[in-house]
Amino acid sequence: MKVLVLNCGSSSVKFQLIETSLEAIEKNADRLLARGGVEKIGAAAAIVTFEVPGRDIHRETPEILEHREAIACVVRLLTDSEIGVVKDKGEIEAVGHRVVHGGEKFATSTIITDEVAAKIKECIELAPLHNPANIRGYIISHQFFSDVPHCAVFDTAFHQTMPEHAYLYAIPRVLHRSLGVRRYGFHGTSHRYVARQVERIAGRPLAEIRVITAHLGNGCSITAIAGGKSVDTSMGFTPLEGLIMGTRSGDIDAAAVLHVIGKQELRLSEANAMLNKHSGLLGISGRSNDMRELTKAALEENDRAAALAIEMFSYRLRKYIGAYAAAMGGVDHLAFTGGIGENSALVREKACQGLEFMGLKFDPERNADAGAGGERVISTDDSPGMIHVIPTNEELVIARDTVRCIEGVI
Amino acid sequence: MNIRSVGIIGAGTVGQGIVQTAAAHGLDVVYKELNPEAVEHSRRAIEQALDREIERWAITASEKKACLSRIRGTHTYDPITQCDIVIEALQDAWEKKSVVFKDLDLFMPDDRVLVTNTSTLSVSELGRLTKRSDRVIGMHFLSPVPKRPLVEIVRGFNTSDETFGVARDFAEALGKTAITVFEYPGYVTTRLILPLINEAMHVVMEGVSSPEDVDQAMKLGYDFPIGPLEMADRMGLDEVLRWLDHLRQEIHEAKFRPCPLLRRLVHAGHCGVKTGKGIFSYTAEGERIRETGGVKS
Repeated sequence: MKVLVLNCGSSSVKFQLIETSLEAIEKNADRLLARGGVEKIGAAAAIVTFEVPGRDIHRETPEILEHREAIACVVRLLTDSEIGVVKDKGEIEAVGHRVVHGGEKFATSTIITDEVAAKIKECIELAPLHNPANIRGYIISHQFFSDVPHCAVFDTAFHQTMPEHAYLYAIPRVLHRSLGVRRYGFHGTSHRYVARQVERIAGRPLAEIRVITAHLGNGCSITAIAGGKSVDTSMGFTPLEGLIMGTRSGDIDAAAVLHVIGKQELRLSEANAMLNKHSGLLGISGRSNDMRELTKAALEENDRAAALAIEMFSYRLRKYIGAYAAAMGGVDHLAFTGGIGENSALVREKACQGLEFMGLKFDPERNADAGAGGERVISTDDSPGMIHVIPTNEELVIARDTVRCIEGVI
Repeated sequence: MNIRSVGIIGAGTVGQGIVQTAAAHGLDVVYKELNPEAVEHSRRAIEQALDREIERWAITASEKKACLSRIRGTHTYDPITQCDIVIEALQDAWEKKSVVFKDLDLFMPDDRVLVTNTSTLSVSELGRLTKRSDRVIGMHFLSPVPKRPLVEIVRGFNTSDETFGVARDFAEALGKTAITVFEYPGYVTTRLILPLINEAMHVVMEGVSSPEDVDQAMKLGYDFPIGPLEMADRMGLDEVLRWLDHLRQEIHEAKFRPCPLLRRLVHAGHCGVKTGKGIFSYTAEGERIRETGGVKS
């Protein structure tokens, strides 16, 4: 079954066309047919990329003013007689959509019906920047693909298994009931994918192992998975909480924020931007939110602020690893994923320092092997627990969930 | 109508605010000033305003860069004529606005909507100067434009529903909440705030209370974010005086008779934040200087 995976943001549409089936999922034999995206929708020149494995990347810069035109462009490229990969759009049998927030309404992926679409709209209040674009992507693509099933895969769904003592904040409970204030967690699709890969590598059912997955990209989050379920995760009501990120603060005393708001007479939007856009690695280093640039600055230019930013980032990560091991009564597997998780040997090394006491023996040489790519183990052979690097693949999860929903096995 | 570009005539304080807001919301902006020097002056002022936004954490350096890349200054009408909509944002004086409206009617394509940013003048009268009074409408932006979420959309006598729809969509594209006003001098906001400011000046002039205490009373007593006297300083006392004179002339009610203290300050060149001195004193960056105290009545 050819599944079109769509990830619609406020000014972008990313897509993959994946051929998969229950059998292919079982054999890990899914096939990527094409991928690409339309960025800068609404700007004078949008950036369109279209990539078919084994061929050169096709690029265009047309004027694309809205999502409808962007999705029309994706359909045109997929069906193009020269560079396309399907003869006509009728070959596409299903569409899977990334939806950021499913609130407490969705604990699993689901086929989108009118009722489901209405419930996703109700979650807009919880994710005002993301859900509107996600739902718009569904509405528009449904006009192009009206006869095939559409499936919603939620970033928050995987974490709906968190117990009450992990997801509630210690504020008046009425705020949970009236405003939905609780910890939801994000990156669920990625954490779930990585956990399943760990299961495959470990050769033991996920339900029998304790796994910590660290997704370190633009946004960073870490999840404790026990009994095959997310039991705690670092992102909370919004993706601001938890680990230090490129431009986000992660955990901070809420009273410190109130103090700054009062002293600097900030508006809520300014305080929000301060925490989300000016903080994190950028705020500490005063230089960049890019871990590669900071690593270079710290190692080659002796930039102390950059070094401090990396130290703080890694320390917070290590603290969470310890906390989640304690929450689960130990850890059998620790897995790094995302741009930083997959590529920063320095962060992995710093985060894993001193974890031998809990059975994670780090191998500096395996970790530093710059030539190694893809899935790999970076713990020693005699380590009781394993440390992994596992590239994430959220689009594949969306495609697979779409097939499972259609086949009725979700 | 999908508005992608906006022309702005006059880049004084309010014009700069509209330029900044439109660019921040992803629109391409062309502003027109009288000469290249004025164009450059306005551009510097917009850059400084964006720097202050960065200092207040509201935007990042890269957002400032992206914002500036969408802004172009000109001293001719040519680039303005390419825009989807045009806003005149000159000082609220009939003699200036009327000349510009005749020019715009001449130079702009027939299907374009012409907007005036006015707080007191007649949209119908401005429309009458053109051959498209159905496509003339008022949008009263409040200052500072980037921070005030409100815009009053003012329908002139001949303004069409279609034009109103364009203005409403445009307000939405700028992230503003619009209220609809049918033309009458002062609309809603100006008509309500001016008597309050004027009365605050009377309270000071009559020695009932100090300027600091008057502002404090309204801030703490009625949740005003800034007091009416500082608000007047920020609007420009000369503008406040002009509006009051205009409303008194139009509505013939004594409540709009300007307080003599206001007139005295304006005559002395103390126009508020823009001159560094008004009821209170201000730094060049517009920060209130607390130590110096207020005006003597």
